[in-house]
Amino acid sequence: MASLVRPGADARALAAPRVDRQPWGAIVLFLLPAFTVYTALTAYPVLRTLWNSAHTVLPHSAQFTGLANYAALAHDDIFWRSVRNTFVWSCVSPVTEVSIGLLLALALYARIPGRRFFRIAWFTPVLMSYVIVGIIWVWIYNYDWGAANAILRAIGLGRYVQAWIGDPKIALPSLIFVTTWMWTGFNMVVLLAAMHSLPSEVLEAAELDNCGWMAKLWHVVIPLIRPTILNLIVLSFIGKMKIFDLVWITTKGGPLWSTETVSTYLYKRAFEWSTFDLGYPSTIAVVWFVIVLAGVFALTWLFRQRERLEF
Amino acid sequence: MLTRAVLFIVVGLYTAFAAGPFLWVASMSMRTTSEISLDHYAWPAKWHWEKFAQAWFNSNYNVYFENSLLVVVSAVAVLTVVGSMAAHCFARYRFPANRVLYFVIFSTIIFPPQITIIALFQILVQYGLYDSLLGLALVYVAVQLPLTVYVLESFFARIPGDLFDAARIDGYSEWQIFWKVSLPIALPAIATAVILNTILLWNEFLYAVVLITDESKRTLPLGIQRFMGDQLEDVGMIATGLMIAIVPVVLIYVFFSEKLIQGMTAGAVK
Amino acid sequence: MRALRWLLAVVVIAFASSAFAQQMKLTLWSHWAAEKIKRDFVEDAIKRFESTHPNVKIEATWYEKNALYAALKTALRAGTGPDIFYAEPDQVEYMENGLLLDLTPLNWSGIEPWAKEIWTYKGKPYGLPLEAWTVELYYNKKTLADLGVAVPANLQLSSDAFGDLVKKARAKNITPMSLGVGDRPFPGAFLVHEALVKKLGIAAYTELLEGKLSWSDPRVIDTLKLIRSWTDAGLLPTTFTTLKLGESHTYFYSNPGAATFLMGSFYSSRAFNPPDKGGEPAGFQVGIMQYPAMPGAACNECRTLAVGGSYVVNAGTKHPKEAIDFLNAFVDPAMANRWLEEVVVQTGVKADLSKIGGPHAAYLKDLFAADANAKYFFGLPSQRMQGKPREVFTQVFNNAFPAGTIGVDDAVKQMNAAYAR
Repeated sequence: MASLVRPGADARALAAPRVDRQPWGAIVLFLLPAFTVYTALTAYPVLRTLWNSAHTVLPHSAQFTGLANYAALAHDDIFWRSVRNTFVWSCVSPVTEVSIGLLLALALYARIPGRRFFRIAWFTPVLMSYVIVGIIWVWIYNYDWGAANAILRAIGLGRYVQAWIGDPKIALPSLIFVTTWMWTGFNMVVLLAAMHSLPSEVLEAAELDNCGWMAKLWHVVIPLIRPTILNLIVLSFIGKMKIFDLVWITTKGGPLWSTETVSTYLYKRAFEWSTFDLGYPSTIAVVWFVIVLAGVFALTWLFRQRERLEF
Repeated sequence: MLTRAVLFIVVGLYTAFAAGPFLWVASMSMRTTSEISLDHYAWPAKWHWEKFAQAWFNSNYNVYFENSLLVVVSAVAVLTVVGSMAAHCFARYRFPANRVLYFVIFSTIIFPPQITIIALFQILVQYGLYDSLLGLALVYVAVQLPLTVYVLESFFARIPGDLFDAARIDGYSEWQIFWKVSLPIALPAIATAVILNTILLWNEFLYAVVLITDESKRTLPLGIQRFMGDQLEDVGMIATGLMIAIVPVVLIYVFFSEKLIQGMTAGAVK
Repeated sequence: MRALRWLLAVVVIAFASSAFAQQMKLTLWSHWAAEKIKRDFVEDAIKRFESTHPNVKIEATWYEKNALYAALKTALRAGTGPDIFYAEPDQVEYMENGLLLDLTPLNWSGIEPWAKEIWTYKGKPYGLPLEAWTVELYYNKKTLADLGVAVPANLQLSSDAFGDLVKKARAKNITPMSLGVGDRPFPGAFLVHEALVKKLGIAAYTELLEGKLSWSDPRVIDTLKLIRSWTDAGLLPTTFTTLKLGESHTYFYSNPGAATFLMGSFYSSRAFNPPDKGGEPAGFQVGIMQYPAMPGAACNECRTLAVGGSYVVNAGTKHPKEAIDFLNAFVDPAMANRWLEEVVVQTGVKADLSKIGGPHAAYLKDLFAADANAKYFFGLPSQRMQGKPREVFTQVFNNAFPAGTIGVDDAVKQMNAAYAR
């Protein structure tokens, strides 16, 4: 998370030990286990994936193919479809999740009774694994007896019942709805914590100025928690770029690739297509890695703080 | 006041929306599949507690639960030790490569799992760790290391330096300073990291599905699919299985919600 | 005396250790964990083999198909796979990567030549074609009688008569055809490829699957439009996309019951189980007819014959001779007959049809009657296509097209694009 003001930065300057000679032995000792794990299971795999992408990797042999995989990838319309789907997901989700979370946080901030209960209730979706969420929502979206259609029929809107995850046109929005359901509660809790940590003088000052609650909200509270909001947007973006479990349990990328994400397509190419080759899926991984990094950098650059807030 | 009433309605609806599915699964876990097919939304007429015993003893859920427990506990233990050592080092020692190395570890948070998963599969197969709980636990440590280091480092950095100076004057070695000064004070952050890692790894699916195939080594997220067999979906038993997977996490949350929220919001809040 | 005792001891030890050394264990991984009859058949074959080969022990592990494939892919890659395992002919990746043992030493004179052909790769055979099956149109005799639909003597309705059946069934709120693609990539496609093989005839159909004939050919489009008219009239269950294979069986017989069921002849593996294990309820009368005739067809008696479950040997096995001996034990008319009588589905092994008896003899008679005069195309599309065309075919013709979520023109466009590389 690219937090824009490093927490504890000032504290560190004060807390820096005043030693003249670095205890190198201790430093190495402290860092060794972490970096061993990191090198063996993160850094090395990345390099190996890169190597794979330039080869055809079969069980007993690996042939160098240079950029052939990349050339094939450029024409792979299923891949580009999955990129598009994932991007749509990553761009729409932060908007819905954070805005609804913000509204809910404000509702709780207004000190309605039973706050603790609501906070716990709204946080439960986040605690469930994507597998569980997927299974539950496949049931909810069931055409015949699922809650979604049952509710529509019960309130007389029976003509709007759909095959929510069976229709290529609405399968992806249906899944985006599920992740929104999951993460809005999380965003709400974070934003609420942020609001509570605002110094009360500012809010009281706004009160004195006779601001209406709407004005207070827009001009005072939101700008003050802007960094938190931006962090949540970036978090949500990254999270959706990685998504696999939910799609795998609900639609497996169907129907007609309307919910195919890069991770499901990669899994299929690596483990389900009629081939043992791991080179091509590695190519997908490398290209996707570059795209994700670019996306994150773009977002962070977009959100860089233009002015420091003084208070 | 009208706004208050509207507020209440909105809040109420949202609560039904957020918690409703959970309650539905909870009630279905107490009913048999035939009862459910008759009416999917009725409250349990007869509370079939025995289904939990059935899932646990007859359908291997005890195996899945144990596997999950084993993998998660060992991974979290290793993460805590390794992560706090690294975090302590980054936070308290000034050395030239400090920020660079920290950034190297921290930046992997944004790596999509796809970039490593194929190679991890190859590596584990090569070293005979494929389809083993040990292999999975090691991968979990690597996966959660960046987040752990991040959460702990910001806390370690806030500890006042005088404590360390005092300890040094008293003749403590660097390791003792870590063990006897840093760790005890950082206990709240460590607790947070532990809870966070436990919840995230308990629910982890992608690495588990790629790296484990043997039925007897499955973790809970994989095992839940056991009831999705050849024939008609056994909705009742699946619901029971889901509850077995959800309840531990919910319990952790209910008891530790403050810590958890602190931890999860640590980086997000400015 | 002493020397003699020592000699005796040495001889005994030598014998014991050599006997011990010759005790061989072969591992076998197979699908059909849930299909008791097939499982029993194979386990029985194992017992027979072990009794004639006392130094060999075969340890079988039973899986569900998808789980088996996942376990195999990784085990083979790691070099730890079983000696013998279940495979289907569409898994060319095993042969392409040299993971299978050349099965030339099998007794191929006892196996149908077309079955050998399906398992031949670069001139060498690699699998024992145990299970073979055709796509049959099963029907509920009572329901059809109630609907007033008479099955003609040649067991094939005309496409008009079939369309009529669809309308009549819908009018009485009965699903005309049970079919489900929830957990398999081939059942939905039966609708399309059985029609196409008839309309085009074997040669043109082969070209179509190989990408040499465009999918925009008017014969293909006409056929697709005809099928679309049936699905639009409510041919399939509303839960088609999520209905599982096992569930589609029970959907057909009783829950809620359908008029017809388009399924492979391995229908019997589930249908003849006890009712509470997914089998037909007591008193259920199943009939078998052919897929409806296509108007203007090149070959209305053409149909697909696929080799299904087969056994292959791991190229890295340490006991190749014993493994081949085990597979050879299946190549025997008595075994084939037993398969036909007990498992009630076709086999690639030559059987002695004059001696078929058993509890399901009547069903087998019906099955062979439906296949009389048939001309066969060997292999499902998914067994004859690879890579992108196969993926697109599965998504389009197994799932989307029968479900009605993609139109004829779009479907054709996608297929043509899939081959154009």
